[in-house]
Amino acid sequence: MSQMSDRTGVIHDLGYRGYAGQRESTAALVRHLFLTGLRHAYGLGRSGRSKVLPFLLLGFSVLPAVIVVGVVTFIDADSLPLSYAAYTSQLQMLTSLFAAAQAPVLFSRDLRHRSIVLYLARPLSAALFALTRWASLAVAILAFALLPILVLYVGGLLAGLDVSEQTPDFLKAVVLQVLLASLLATITGVLASVALRRGFAVVASIVVLIVAVGVVLIVQGVADFEGIAHVGEVAGLFSPWTIHNGLAESWDAGSAIGDLDGAWPAVYVVTALGLVAAGLALLAARFTKVGAR
Amino acid sequence: MSAVTGETMPVGAVPVVQTSRLTKSFGAVHALADLDITVGEGVTGLVGANGAGKSTLIKILLGLLEPTSGAARVLGHDIATEGDRIRQLVGYMPEHDCLPPDVSASDFVVHMGRMSGLPATVARERAADVLRHVGLDEERYRQMGGYSTGMKQRAKLAQALVHDPRLVFLDEPTNGLDPAARVDMLQLVQRIGRDFGIAVLVTSHLLGELERVSDHVIVLDGGRLLRSSATADFLGHTGGLLVEVLGGDAARDQLGEALAQAGLHCRPRGPLVAIDPPPEALAAPGVAHDIVRDTTADLGLALVRIEPDQAHLEDVFLTGGHA
Ligand SMILES: Nc1ncnc2c1ncn2[C@@H]1O[C@H](COP(=O)(O)OP(=O)(O)O)[C@@H](O)[C@H]1O
Ligand SMILES: [Mg+2]
Repeated sequence: MSQMSDRTGVIHDLGYRGYAGQRESTAALVRHLFLTGLRHAYGLGRSGRSKVLPFLLLGFSVLPAVIVVGVVTFIDADSLPLSYAAYTSQLQMLTSLFAAAQAPVLFSRDLRHRSIVLYLARPLSAALFALTRWASLAVAILAFALLPILVLYVGGLLAGLDVSEQTPDFLKAVVLQVLLASLLATITGVLASVALRRGFAVVASIVVLIVAVGVVLIVQGVADFEGIAHVGEVAGLFSPWTIHNGLAESWDAGSAIGDLDGAWPAVYVVTALGLVAAGLALLAARFTKVGAR
Repeated sequence: MSAVTGETMPVGAVPVVQTSRLTKSFGAVHALADLDITVGEGVTGLVGANGAGKSTLIKILLGLLEPTSGAARVLGHDIATEGDRIRQLVGYMPEHDCLPPDVSASDFVVHMGRMSGLPATVARERAADVLRHVGLDEERYRQMGGYSTGMKQRAKLAQALVHDPRLVFLDEPTNGLDPAARVDMLQLVQRIGRDFGIAVLVTSHLLGELERVSDHVIVLDGGRLLRSSATADFLGHTGGLLVEVLGGDAARDQLGEALAQAGLHCRPRGPLVAIDPPPEALAAPGVAHDIVRDTTADLGLALVRIEPDQAHLEDVFLTGGHA
């Protein structure tokens, strides 16, 4: 080995050059993997076709915000017609679709094509790999949800809305979105890592995210109507959207859907964090298992 | 240490791989049973029928699988506690498909280089270099989904080399290749061990396939060590070498004379200089090789290759009665 490096100067025909320079830290590896994953979630650095869906959905979710800003500017209103958190909640279909469609990009491909083996034979551990993939997806979803309310916020301020009124509401909505994006990334990520086939993963995610929220809302409606205590609150724990909306309401960020009091907000937050933690552990275990095959 | 002279490592050097009572059970199946092996520099062939435990051994050494019991060290690092360090120093070409179909080999190898810690510009340069070495030219810009088996094997090999590892595990690199591609791949394996100076552990389920390119052969059977024969020891004994330089017969003869003056007996064999096993005074590991290297440099000749005299290697197996 050491002789080889001496020799390379003499023997040009052998041509192999070693590399004795700096190797990057674990943090740098994680950053590279994270950014590559984030770009891939929007189809960047992939085929032209894979950019269509994410950007189409993003366009649809920003368009209403642009219209709202236009109306607020035109009629010179002194507040937005709906809160930031309510806007996020209104767009749950589009955001759910984005998460369902893009999770397989980050969680099925490596497992299905078994390139996971090549990653796990490199310095990053399976746990760190899974966590980084998850972070790429969570941030991609957050960016998807954040862009329209950023348009609302900035547009609203330009239209003359009061900064001191808008800013706290906006920031609360962002915090709620972080929790929401974490939940969506966990659920769609776990499903994509198990289903492997993109079609199955997308359908399973849509069932869990969109159908479940419908069921929860029906249960909550019935419980409310019948005046049964706690059933509505418990039901709300079964969908990331009702968790988001319930917390938004109790935090006065205004979503007009669901309402939580007493210890329920804490229960919601703990449930959400517990779900994310359990999902991450599952993802790491799944990657480790497939990597050993 | 040099693999070119076929020497084993110097006394006191750290073995490339060393296992001690390594055992792996999958339920009732004992994939590895109390395995004690030592792998040195150069090319080591790991041979055994399907199910002998070759892939399992490599996965354990990489930290992809946990052993049931026993211990192992790779390049001096304990697999139980220093897996991440080992994975920085080692390259792995898995047995099965592991390439995403919708990415070009070029992009993929760059990305894998970065995942091994190469800075961006270095990763790009090395990926281009390594893809050239494995023989993927214009194809490297095409998506890998359309590759033939031979091209896929080359891309898999390139990602295993991109970060300039100290050691590569090549799991059945000739699998699925036609005879011509098989020969090419084996030559590439030999070059990695001898010219690139990277230690190689290469597996095959075909007994007899790897002997020609290996300095050392380890035979597994049902998870047990059947035989570990150092073809290297033999070469260390006789140390016959073949040398090729650019410049035709004139350069060949010029080198031959200079080597004779340095005390090595040699004669022309076709376009090559064949060096006899060196005399006692020059028989120490690597000495003859160093003389060749220095002499060539002094004469200003371009050295194409130095390799152990294959005729001698074959003799080992003929007289040793190997398959
Ligand atoms: N994940 C696994 N689960 C159960 N048995 C396994 C697993 N991996 C390997 N084996 C068994 O272990 C033995 C060794 O397998 P392997 O290391 O793949 O052999 P080789 O690579 O030499 O063909 C075989 O009997 C195989 O069936
Ligand atoms: Mg195998």
